[in-house]
Amino acid sequence: MTALQRSPGPGARPREFRGEITAKLPVMGDSWLITFTAPQEILQSARPGQFVNVLARERAVYDPLLRRPFSVYDVSPDDGLMTILVRPYGRGGGSIVERNIGGEIDILGLLGNAFEVNPRSQRLLMVAGGVGAAPLFMLSRAAVMQGLSVTYLLGAMTADALLDASQFPQEVEYVVATEDGSAGYHGFVTDLVPDYLQWADQVFSCGPGPMFQSLRSVVLANRMGKRPGVQVSVERTMACGVGACLGCMVETKRGMKTSCVDGPVFDMDVVQW
Amino acid sequence: MVTIEKQRYMADLAVDLAPANARELVLRNPVIPASGCFGYGLEYSPVIDVQRLGAFVSKGITPEPRSGNPMPRITETPAGMLNAIGLQNPGIDKFIQKYPPTWENWDVPAIVNISAEAVEDYAMMARKLDDVPGIAAIEVNISCPNIHAGGFCFGWDARMSAEVTRAVRQATTLPIIVKLSPGAVDVMEIASAVEAAGADAVSLINTLVGMAIDIRTQRSKLANLTGGLSGPAVKPVAVRMVYQVASVVKIPVIGIGGISGLQDALEFFMAGASAIQLGTAVFSTPSVLTDLIDDLGIWLDSNGFDSLRDIVGIANPAMRGASMES
Repeated sequence: MTALQRSPGPGARPREFRGEITAKLPVMGDSWLITFTAPQEILQSARPGQFVNVLARERAVYDPLLRRPFSVYDVSPDDGLMTILVRPYGRGGGSIVERNIGGEIDILGLLGNAFEVNPRSQRLLMVAGGVGAAPLFMLSRAAVMQGLSVTYLLGAMTADALLDASQFPQEVEYVVATEDGSAGYHGFVTDLVPDYLQWADQVFSCGPGPMFQSLRSVVLANRMGKRPGVQVSVERTMACGVGACLGCMVETKRGMKTSCVDGPVFDMDVVQW
Repeated sequence: MVTIEKQRYMADLAVDLAPANARELVLRNPVIPASGCFGYGLEYSPVIDVQRLGAFVSKGITPEPRSGNPMPRITETPAGMLNAIGLQNPGIDKFIQKYPPTWENWDVPAIVNISAEAVEDYAMMARKLDDVPGIAAIEVNISCPNIHAGGFCFGWDARMSAEVTRAVRQATTLPIIVKLSPGAVDVMEIASAVEAAGADAVSLINTLVGMAIDIRTQRSKLANLTGGLSGPAVKPVAVRMVYQVASVVKIPVIGIGGISGLQDALEFFMAGASAIQLGTAVFSTPSVLTDLIDDLGIWLDSNGFDSLRDIVGIANPAMRGASMES
């Protein structure tokens, strides 16, 4: 079972491995869930919020040069499989979604920290935008398996860019918002957040920068003190993924932190917005 | 625990990077991760077998702590990347407390890269490093602005480059590698000047100053506006400069610039490099470092060479001439 709290021992060491793509599922309009084989120790130690860096080229060519980070969407140690959610945008995502089943995928991982669920928390609120859906999906599944209550808010431009409700375990309360009103609430996903702030023991979020800005103002305007706490998974352009190059820094009240090792998950109140 | 690893090749890959220095800098093989691309060695220890490397070079250390440049600091370019990290580091004093005690127990030699904006600061850092256990050599980054010369880059001026080298030489008996800037008008003149000033070896090239503009925001993609270009895109420039420098100096030359595998590495050796550094390639495939050691040995074996030394400068007539004289 996927752990929700930090285990006392070290996790699996990050390493390079090549997986075989075993499944591709179209989701969210133009994106894909890509499932591939992965070593058992990696799968067993994977925690929600962690990510892998994917080589979006063959080793003998040079573009795009750097690996692309993808949050883990799901792991299945029993089947030996890991799934990531890939948008076909830019020079990286575009080439990854073109890979076929049976083809290879070149991975560096696991990388990064993870969402931390307080052992006393019972009710978890997820606030997701776009491919930010991925790490919160894994967190939601793990949380309901351990008997926690989860409300999952997902925002998108249009109905077809949402995750299909059938992806989620029944125990997850899945609520959607679309900017064009074609499904669920008509407006931004963060408009829904005030209704849940009393209910939630903790809030977890992943999505584009503007979504974090509006989440932060909504939370600051509606919560009492520092409860509930909010953890955000941020995205930065990244080179090494292991804390060596210092290219992916996040400015925090505790100094400059790497998003690849110190993050990608940070306490919203610690980040310098 | 002693692990006995079976070597997959016969050829001798050992290289002496400071033949004139009593403190020596003998590496088991010529493969070195470059400064700024390998942190302090610890970051990559879980990912690859760092102890197998010929040596590694630390992130650039400065006299005082530096928090580095604002974000964004990196951007990808065709077959390359631009970086403007801004020498984020804990400063020389905290650095000495923090890292060398760990390195002391490592097999792999640790080379410390130093940067400063005044000659006396280079000397001060070298003096502090001189007797620190766990440090095998100093790499002097002269691609920095000289605040006493209106911010003109040390490494673009032969006299200033020599002045830094001489000051570091007087401050330490450790092997000194001077890392040359590709921005110099005549890199051979700089190389000869630092050789005369007491450098044990030179390494080149540092990154080329570049820029990329985001046409959507109509601004530079880097907060610092410009950044250092690295990766396969710079390799031909680097090979040319290594060839030129190896033609005019007698001290060992360490080749750097866009090396991503065996073919690239061989070009640098044949141009005259005695060792090589890899930077950008490590980001995407850390295993390139350890794979390259094996690939080099196997290539030498299968091409009838007993030693890496046999191919150093093989494509460089000036070096072939020199070895015939000796």
